[in-house]
Amino acid sequence: MPTSPTPETYEAFVRLFMAHEPRLRGFLRSLLPTWEDVDDVLQETSLIAWRKFSQFEPNSNFMAWIGTIARFEALRHCRTKARDRLVFNDDLLDLLADESLTETDLREREHQALRHCLDKLPADQARYLDLAYQPGVKFHEAAQLAGKSVAAFYKILQRLRTILQTCMTKELQHSNP
Amino acid sequence: MNAPEFNLNEAIDHHLDGTLSPEDFTRLQDALLTDPAARSLLRQRSQMDATLRDWTLSLQPTPLAAWQASPKPPTPSSWFNRPIKTLLGTAAAITLAFLLWPQETSTPEATSSGVAMLSQTLDAEFAHSPLRSGDTITPRTIKLTKGLTQIEFFSGATALLEGAAELEIISSWEARCLSGRIRVHVPPAAKGFLIHAPGMKLEDLGTEFALNVKDNSSAVHVFEGEVIAHTDRASSSLKQGMTLGNTTTDFLPISELHDLLTQRQQRRFDAWQDWSQQARTDPRLIAYYTFKHSTDDRWDRLVNNFTEPRNPKHSGGAVGARWTEGRWPGKEALEFKRPGDRVRMNLEGIYSALTLSCWVKVDSVDKKYNSLLLTDGYDNGEPHWQIYEDGSLMFSIIYRPDGITRGGDWNQIYFSKPVFGPDSLGRWHHIAVSYDNQSGQVIQYFDGAEVSREVSKRHQAGRPITYGPCELGNWGLPTQGHPFPIRNLNGAIDEFAIYAAVLSGAEIQSIFENGHPK
Repeated sequence: MPTSPTPETYEAFVRLFMAHEPRLRGFLRSLLPTWEDVDDVLQETSLIAWRKFSQFEPNSNFMAWIGTIARFEALRHCRTKARDRLVFNDDLLDLLADESLTETDLREREHQALRHCLDKLPADQARYLDLAYQPGVKFHEAAQLAGKSVAAFYKILQRLRTILQTCMTKELQHSNP
Repeated sequence: MNAPEFNLNEAIDHHLDGTLSPEDFTRLQDALLTDPAARSLLRQRSQMDATLRDWTLSLQPTPLAAWQASPKPPTPSSWFNRPIKTLLGTAAAITLAFLLWPQETSTPEATSSGVAMLSQTLDAEFAHSPLRSGDTITPRTIKLTKGLTQIEFFSGATALLEGAAELEIISSWEARCLSGRIRVHVPPAAKGFLIHAPGMKLEDLGTEFALNVKDNSSAVHVFEGEVIAHTDRASSSLKQGMTLGNTTTDFLPISELHDLLTQRQQRRFDAWQDWSQQARTDPRLIAYYTFKHSTDDRWDRLVNNFTEPRNPKHSGGAVGARWTEGRWPGKEALEFKRPGDRVRMNLEGIYSALTLSCWVKVDSVDKKYNSLLLTDGYDNGEPHWQIYEDGSLMFSIIYRPDGITRGGDWNQIYFSKPVFGPDSLGRWHHIAVSYDNQSGQVIQYFDGAEVSREVSKRHQAGRPITYGPCELGNWGLPTQGHPFPIRNLNGAIDEFAIYAAVLSGAEIQSIFENGHPK
């Protein structure tokens, strides 16, 4: 932690953090088994990043800087969880993180493209997604609420994800010739 | 290496859904280790997962208005049944549908039948229900028995009324004076404003005039502009300096209310300053902020700690929050409006009791939690004081058992009854809370009166209280599971005192009496 962080420093940090949060979440999601883990690690990451913020060089790449911290925290988190959960091994985590941090701009474009696609999704399809991605709702609970069997609900979601994937690819081609 | 039925796409999605079997997990891991394209796909689907979750959250309807009964969290089934935006085909229509979407899910808009508001009062007493400045007035008769009051009609016309007087408010464009002295100012926008009086009807053409009504007879004098006076016999135009009717008393001078108000405010401000000079020497104080900002602070961000003897280490730094007028003209306050607005402090020390005392003007209770004083994070022995979404005061302190740093249900939370609602928003109020770590009793106060008294069943005597880095009006670095929630106060604070002891109910009452704006 800087010896006496000024309010300006703090504001700068919060701004940068909020701007990069969606990408950071996507990054952590690829490394960690559940959203709970993502939230935990993101929280740790934000605290550590704030403590070390004096070491961050203004105008350098914030995503690369905080991504390194997030990656380390994710690894640490996975080690403590490894015994009881489906957690990727260290080698794979290293590979994923290395590659991830070189393509965060692509992820950001995908994020924007997908938001665009979601806006165009018909309402009856959107509500299945809305249901499935509510935080804290388990997959089988979402299926039950939709009045579908787990298998049928899964099929619906798969179809929607494929639609979105196709739409996203198309959007990206159009916006980035 | 992969059995034929293994499908990478499906495995990744099952993995993200949390429905992948341990066997398939091993196969997925193997595939990812060997195949860069598989890893790329995983990252893409992970970002999609994150985006979808983010999108789902953004669909949630806005919370109910803060003063409504605290809503239950929506159940998943009610989510599913809520109206869904209709898809209309063209891109423009989709945009339109998306814009209309939030309205379909929102609660009915609040309405009011108010036609005017009471903007100022001076020693005013009313015959029926008591009115305070800031109150909205619906059509009715106002009987002022003594004092002065200023009424601002929503049309833009303003009336100054001196007791005893009786004024029937008919609409934002029309009123009837039954008795008393009244002075009316009508700006061009309110041209056509009508005042009825015994024997005449006054139609205003953008002007200032006074009216005396006594024993069912009226007299009017125009100070500026023009008034059309309609009587039984004729309509006549009254210009500046002209008088119609007979009266034995003077017409109401405009300076009266404002001069008296200014004098009274100055008296109250002076009295509070005298009290404050004494109060800041209280040895029980850890910090005392009066939000007087020093003219020599070139950064204009210093929030001085005014305890005597001085302890500049406990001074705060304003972030975002802007200087504004406090309880009286000349008294400063800090206004918290934007999500980043806050005052940062660092209060070292370990304590066994506390009292927090604060003069606050809450403009709206629009978040789930609205910050007053919160420590960064939420570690053992750190107090948090907030306004909950239903308008109640919420004090909490946490003590987790040794070895546990997060999670679990160790929070001691104390709620008052709701105190911030339409009646109290937008006005200066005093709030306070006291807690001591022996009895564990938490008492909260609103305008000097006790509004809650409770001991948590989780209380254990003797556990220390600490602050460390903390904030007024916002929450600094939050704890796990709450990534930077928006908790900024929507309002202003013009006095905040932190004591290392429990102040008695009588002492809190005295703080309220000495600091009351009126």
